[in-house]
Parts: sequence; C-alpha cells; structure tokens
Amino acid sequence: MTVERDEFGFDAPAPLGHPGRLGLPEGHATGPEIGDVLPDFALPDAAGDLVRLDEDRAGARAVVVFFRSAVW
Amino acid sequence: MAAGVKLYAISYDDREALAEFREKQDIPYPLLSDVDSATIRRYGILNDRIRPGDALLHGIPYPGVFVCDEDGVVISKFFHDTYKKRDSPERLLDAALGRVVLDGSGPRAEGGDDEVRVTAAVRGGTGTIRQGIIRELVVRFELAAGLHVYGEPVPEGMVPVQVDVQGPPGLVVEAPVLPPTKPHRLPEMDLTLPVWSGTVDVRVPFYPTGELASETRPLDRASATLSVTVRYQACDDRTCLLPRTETFTLELPLDVVDVPRLSIHTGHGQREGQYDALPHARRLLRRKRRRAPLGFLRFLVKQARLERAARRRARIADQAG
Repeated sequence: MTVERDEFGFDAPAPLGHPGRLGLPEGHATGPEIGDVLPDFALPDAAGDLVRLDEDRAGARAVVVFFRSAVW
Repeated sequence: MAAGVKLYAISYDDREALAEFREKQDIPYPLLSDVDSATIRRYGILNDRIRPGDALLHGIPYPGVFVCDEDGVVISKFFHDTYKKRDSPERLLDAALGRVVLDGSGPRAEGGDDEVRVTAAVRGGTGTIRQGIIRELVVRFELAAGLHVYGEPVPEGMVPVQVDVQGPPGLVVEAPVLPPTKPHRLPEMDLTLPVWSGTVDVRVPFYPTGELASETRPLDRASATLSVTVRYQACDDRTCLLPRTETFTLELPLDVVDVPRLSIHTGHGQREGQYDALPHARRLLRRKRRRAPLGFLRFLVKQARLERAARRRARIADQAG
C-alpha cells in the first residue's frame, strides 16, 4: 500500500482517510474519568486462563492498556 | 511491571495470536483477549469511526491507558488525538507510582554545584527514540536544605525555573510538566511566592514524527541531539545565589522498529518482525468478513478509491519536487 504522511507528521503504510488511520475525534469521550472506579472485567489471557481485574491485582495499583492489535 | 504495579494489555485479538506474539516478543505481562470487543465497548472506547466490514478493523478501541490506585480508582489516563502517539512504559509506571524514577539507563548530563545539583536525563527506552513514542526529558533539581527555587509567577527581577528543550526538525517537544509549588512567605517584603524545595522534577514530554524517525522507511541517521537549557535561581530565607543558566547536550539513538511480517508492511519497515502474522491476520479477516460481507465489499471499493487518490497526490508531489 501507499505510504502517506498525515497531518500530525506520522507515516503509515495506508492512504490518508483509510479506516485504520482514523484517530480519536476532538471532544470524544474516552471512558472512565479520573476519580471513577475502573470497571471490573474478566477476560482470558494468552494461555486461556480467565483474568479478573480486581481479583488479580489484589489491591495493587494497575495500568490497563487498550491497544489496537498484536496482529497488524 | 516493576514496583508492585500490575499491568494488563487488552486487544480484540484471539488467544492464539496473543500467545504467539507474547512468546516471540518476550512479553512478561498478561495479554487479554477481548475477541467480541465487549470490554472495549463497556469502557466506552470502541473506535466508532470504523464500520463493520472495514477489513479486519472493526472492534478495535481508540487506544489508551488507564492507571488506577489500590482502590481501583482512576488516578491517571492517557488518550491521544492520533493512535500514532503512544506513551512509553516508563511514563505509565511513573504515573502509577506518582514519582519519576531515574534509573540511569538513558543518556544523562549533570551540572550545578553542591548547593543545587542539576541532572538532565531521558526517561525510558534507555534513551532511544522512535516515531510517536512519547518519552520524557527530566530535569531534576536537588536542593540543599533551606534552599528553594521559584515557580511562576514571580516579581520582575527574580528568576523562575525555566527549561527549554530543542531538538532536530521532526522532534515535537511538549510543554514542561511542573510539580505543584508550595507558597513561601517573605514577611519583610510582604510577599508570598511559589517555590519548590528538596527534589524537584520538571518533565518535558517529547516524541519524533516521521520526518525524524519514520517507521515506514530505513532510518537515515543513527541518533538525534537534544539541547536542554535550564535557568534557575536558588535562595534561602535571607539571601539568593546568582542566577544560573546551564546547557546540556544529550545524544539519543534512534530505535529500529520491528514490523509484523505482513504484506502491508513488507518493504516499509526497518526490520522484519519476529513472527509471521499472516495466519493470524487471515483468521481475523475471516472472523470480521463473515459478520459484514456487504460492508466488506463496500470497504474494498473505498480502499481502491483511497489508494488512487494517494497515488495521485504522490504524482503531484513528484512533479512539484
């Protein structure tokens, strides 16, 4: 695919306007805010074991990263 | 993650893809599989600009990070206007710990004297830089007991702490992040001034764009030079030391980026990735296409139109250049 540079100055191997390049619109909500309690979740890890946020962190501080994909 | 902080990374990939990625990239923390994007939706961060049928993309989040304290309360979060900007892991760890850890792994320079020690250091990635990854240049002041330096505003003639960071074209430097000041009362002058004492960290976030460190072509330089100018004046309750201006120069190596072995990246990256992503991409595409076959056809037409427009722009740029 064609490499193009976007308005932020970043290069990616997809044309401008491609759905994969669409970023967060200005003013769009971004989930829980500072001061909110992080919603608990239960998701399988890479080995298939269910991980529950609150149970697994067991009172520790946590960093929860939502990323796009490990595949592409 | 270090220091008792737990780290979880969530994506819409299936377990098989995550298992191989985790093994090949040697990732120590859990990768969690949100195949139907239910958690992504519940958090309210589904990328709603992507339509069902848009290749294998539907279901991804607006990428971002939440940091919570011991009670699960969000104390910090990181979202950006473009997915290309990403916070370095060290930045996230510092946010979780509520302090800057300078571990000596990156480039650093030292100045000042016995009364005020000044350190300029790059936090994260052993000081390397890559497109869109936000690291921090940290200026640490270590003040002898009784001394303080000033925040803003101060009356004319006094010197507040100033940190200026300059880099080559393509290096974006954000505004310095300053810790909160404490009010300091000077009764004989009837003044209350904002000051810092003890150890003070001024953090300056920065990242390279494609002009300096594109990830779609080989790097054309090995490193970039950061010039850091620091101005400050330290005082105790009676007297002030002379204002000082110091300049530090730090050399930051450019990081070579791994790309997944996938046709869209072939020939664009700097180093072929550790694993073959094609079987996982095929599975993902099948899963997505099955749910929106008509949307997928619409996507193919749209993609062809976008590609033509991109090639047209490239031709015009070639002729102009």
